[in-house]
Amino acid sequence: MSSLSRSTRPVLLLAVLWLLLGWLDASYLYRLASMALVFGLLAASANLITGVAGMMTLGHAAFYGVGAYTAALLSSQYQFSPWLTLPLAGVTAALLGGLTAWLTRRLVNVHFAVATLGIGQAVYVTLLNWVDFTRGPMGITDIAPLSTASPAINLGLVMLVFLLCYLLLERTIHSYYGNALRALREDEQCVAAMGLDPARLKIQVMVLGCFIAGLAGALWAHSTRYVSPGDFRFSESITILAMVVIGGLGSLPGAIMGALLLTLLPELLRSLGDYRMLVVGSIMFGFIMFLPKGLIGEYSALRVFRSHLKALEQS
Amino acid sequence: MLDFFDVFLVQQLLNGLAQGLVYALIAIGFTLIFGVLNVVNFAHGEIYMLGAFAGLLAIQVLAPPAFAVLLLVAAAGLVLGVLLERVAFRPFRRFNDEASLKSKALREATLLSSLAISIITRELMQLYVGADMQSIPQAYLLMTPIQLGPLSIASGQVLIFVTALLMFVLLQWLLFRTRLGLSIRAVSNNRLGALHVGINVNHIIIATFAIGSLMGAVSGIVVGLYSGNIFPQMGFSPGIKAFVAMVMGGLDSIPGAVISAIVLGLCEALSTDFVSQGWSELISYALLLITLLYFPRGLFGKKVERV
Repeated sequence: MSSLSRSTRPVLLLAVLWLLLGWLDASYLYRLASMALVFGLLAASANLITGVAGMMTLGHAAFYGVGAYTAALLSSQYQFSPWLTLPLAGVTAALLGGLTAWLTRRLVNVHFAVATLGIGQAVYVTLLNWVDFTRGPMGITDIAPLSTASPAINLGLVMLVFLLCYLLLERTIHSYYGNALRALREDEQCVAAMGLDPARLKIQVMVLGCFIAGLAGALWAHSTRYVSPGDFRFSESITILAMVVIGGLGSLPGAIMGALLLTLLPELLRSLGDYRMLVVGSIMFGFIMFLPKGLIGEYSALRVFRSHLKALEQS
Repeated sequence: MLDFFDVFLVQQLLNGLAQGLVYALIAIGFTLIFGVLNVVNFAHGEIYMLGAFAGLLAIQVLAPPAFAVLLLVAAAGLVLGVLLERVAFRPFRRFNDEASLKSKALREATLLSSLAISIITRELMQLYVGADMQSIPQAYLLMTPIQLGPLSIASGQVLIFVTALLMFVLLQWLLFRTRLGLSIRAVSNNRLGALHVGINVNHIIIATFAIGSLMGAVSGIVVGLYSGNIFPQMGFSPGIKAFVAMVMGGLDSIPGAVISAIVLGLCEALSTDFVSQGWSELISYALLLITLLYFPRGLFGKKVERV
């Protein structure tokens, strides 16, 4: 296994999964898989912002929602192709994220969390009430799928985007730049003393994280082909945060594990339908209480990734 | 005299004042807990909701006089506060050294645990009683209009006004005129210092939670008696508004939170002249962001060094 570099392994894993799902050929499984991948992206991007850079965000669903609505509106109203809506959705969400970070660049700790909560609620209220533009609570239907070829190709495309974002995030987190972000989390004043600009780092990390959240939103819009404001409420932000906490703050594979757990568990236990948020809350509480480092803690994640790096350098 | 005013406008102002006082009622307990522990208690909105349900239960089971309902709810609030502290906050208060008190990780852990507890409580209630609104029996409903010339106020609004005033005065008396209040202020000022002068910090924190939650629960039933609707999600929206008021007021200033809450209520009521009900929600978030941008320590916050 050690001959495989760290980026080929997720590629192989997803390829096997795709073939397996293609062989099973069940549209329900496709839906489930794309949902898990979308939430994986969301959790991974929230992990970059909250886990690595230490900026507690309570409004991640806003950026996800802005991305989803951008893609939905462009594709249903203006017949843009998904190849265009995807990056545009990312860019709109990144703009909003950058703006948020620029406005809140001086806020620390709970103040930042409150500000993002405010932004999240503001976006939700806007989506709900701007009926002329977003169709309000009725939501947007008739969103084109990613590809008209087959559901399997669609899932493959979602996987491709997921993979690209995963690699981008992984390279970012495990680089000197990632170390700067971790320093920002630990002590802002020290970061400034080292000659780095904390405000700039914050804006950059929010732009990158929200770009990915926007992409996830676009993927969601194109794969479910229906969006409504209800998908982007405060509880969704909390679910994303819970995924990151369960996986272990700061750990990228952990965030994705958390996303898998929290999307698949309520789906697999169908009878738990009404209990979804209850499950989310209880799991979150249990982890904070008994396993605060999460499933795959940051330290162990870092150790694994860095040992790979060392092995690569030596070979 | 009233000819000079637009009656409708004054009526709107009155309604806004009542709504603002509802936010203030919740914000008072919220701010008290934040001031002492320096952590956000996200479950306060759920205490408010549980207070309303406790009152409903008392009415349905015992059918006591209205005054006794308030006392029963206050008792329930005390118990809930102690429970909440035990479950969501105590486990993360294991260390008493300088580093762990300032540690971001511990602060985030309590924020997340109170968030988790609030979700669990809300969802359990929803499973147990259903998501629908429960109505207060007619006899207890405080909807009788009181005419003041061309204006009218509901008796529930008067109750809200009186309760808010009473709570505020009592709390200020408690904080500044009693020994317990002195200890609470000592703990909120410097936990380690309080520990060193022999204050039982644990007891003070429990007492703070009990008082704060008592106020939260009472506000729940007061609002429930006025609006007549009690449902598991009822704590969410006013809870967030109270949160906004707390941040605007400067996080640990109780008068600041009350004034900000009233401003919020007034702004929302006045905004309905220009925009629809749904959009008026946006006003409070806009106010929140503006406050955070221009007054990062809040409108009435202490000018202290950031840590």
